[in-house]
Amino acid sequence: MAKRERRVGYGWPVLLAIGVHIAALMLTVIKWPESTPDPTSSSVVQATLVRAETATNQPQQTKDATPPATSQPKDQEDASQPAASPPPEPSDQPTAESDVQIPDEVVEEAKAQAQRLQEEARRAAQQRAEAERQRQKEAAQRQAQAEAERKRQAQAEAERKRQAQAEAERKRQAQAEAEQKRQAQAEAEQKRLAALAERAAQANASSLDELISEEQQSIANAEQASEAANGFKNLVRRYVEQSWNLPSNISSDLRAIVQIQLLPTGELVSATILQSSGNSTFDRSAINAIEKASPFREMSKLDASVRDQFREFNLDFNPEDIR
Amino acid sequence: MNDSMSIPHLIMNASLIVQLVMLLLLAASIASWIIIFQRGIALRRAEKAYRDFEDRFWSGVDLNELYRDLPAEHESLGAEHVFRSGFREFNRLMAKTGSVDAVLEGVQRGQRVALSREEDRLQLHLTFLATVASASPYIGLFGTVWGIMGSFQSLSMAQQATLSTVAPWIAEALVATAMGLFAAIPAVIFYNRLSAHAGRLLGKYENFAEEFHAILHRNLQGRSERAAS
Repeated sequence: MAKRERRVGYGWPVLLAIGVHIAALMLTVIKWPESTPDPTSSSVVQATLVRAETATNQPQQTKDATPPATSQPKDQEDASQPAASPPPEPSDQPTAESDVQIPDEVVEEAKAQAQRLQEEARRAAQQRAEAERQRQKEAAQRQAQAEAERKRQAQAEAERKRQAQAEAERKRQAQAEAEQKRQAQAEAEQKRLAALAERAAQANASSLDELISEEQQSIANAEQASEAANGFKNLVRRYVEQSWNLPSNISSDLRAIVQIQLLPTGELVSATILQSSGNSTFDRSAINAIEKASPFREMSKLDASVRDQFREFNLDFNPEDIR
Repeated sequence: MNDSMSIPHLIMNASLIVQLVMLLLLAASIASWIIIFQRGIALRRAEKAYRDFEDRFWSGVDLNELYRDLPAEHESLGAEHVFRSGFREFNRLMAKTGSVDAVLEGVQRGQRVALSREEDRLQLHLTFLATVASASPYIGLFGTVWGIMGSFQSLSMAQQATLSTVAPWIAEALVATAMGLFAAIPAVIFYNRLSAHAGRLLGKYENFAEEFHAILHRNLQGRSERAAS
């Protein structure tokens, strides 16, 4: 009879208990492969941004005198060419069964403007053809100056890093002297370079350069604006899609164009049927969708110039049959 | 998972009191698991030992022989212990007195003492499990409340309170509750399980004691009748 074995010690239980806790800890620390949820783009509803009031607020507008696109005929034109729509996905909601398209009207407008601006710049350069040689010289000088500036900045950056390292090292190892000398040297160098650059900058300031850089700036602005407009457009489309409850018993070839007016804060002023589908239920559902989707708070984050494009625009409700 | 919201990161960033609470809960959890394993093994072995002993007891072996075979008093456990103390009492009293009632009473008393010792041994530390089971949720809750209090105090300093400024604090505080539950749930489950197991085993010991007592009683009855005739 091995009775002594019956007394149970605590060695094994301790090991087992610690094992249990380590296992539990591992479970929390280990990153499980996350199951990436399918991007449920419910873009089964397609509303088309037919026209945007393209009244950009840029200073160049006075020069260009772009006539704001008066809309009705153009509207129809755009509406008649549906943009490439994503393949309609089957959705759980039978109510949202169509496609939304917004043609890149706004983007194109912005691009056109950018092109115009470039042309303007070129013209300005030609008008000053007699100053061409001088300008080239100046440009070369400017380049040299920019180069110096860049070099100085890079050096300053490197120097800052080195300083930080040196400080840490000083604390630890008290190797202060050599480091300080190097710093002093570098600082002197920096000052010298800075003075040089400044002098060069003063010498080379000219009205032509300013003009050119201004125009470049405005081109960049226009590009940025077009990007922002694109983002907002997609947003509006998605919101309206999500809140559109399509009536069940309507034919698929209906189509309505709704004009939307927004406040700068994104709140809805009015949504009116511009071109009725002939089916009042359908029209009402479209207006309901917009009312439900509003306000579009993201509008207040847009630039003022881009925001004005969206003060008034049209949405084309065009459900495509996917049954 | 966001790195700053991972559980180790949250624990490291918690305030001191919350960390202490977590440490306490971790210690309680480890201790309760030690007891769970230790008791689980001990009870299983005790059950097996009881079965072995019962087999031997009912195999028709002479009781005196069985008594001699068993090891000394302090070594024996479970039903053996009950048997030994009863039988020893029986032998001693039989040598001194011929009164059947006195002998049986003495045997019963000896068995009762042995049984209560066995009960103690079987339920050793189980009360600790019960304590952990009932107290650790409250301890965890205390940690959470403390953490949330701290979060609101620091929030009053902030300029604007958004969800993202409050969320890390609350997540941090809730870790304490999670740990309290983590300690309490196994403790509750295994306390019930182990105490039921111990109670069952104790019932078996009691049954055995009664049976043994019945055997002795029969035996003595026979003797006293013989002595009377």
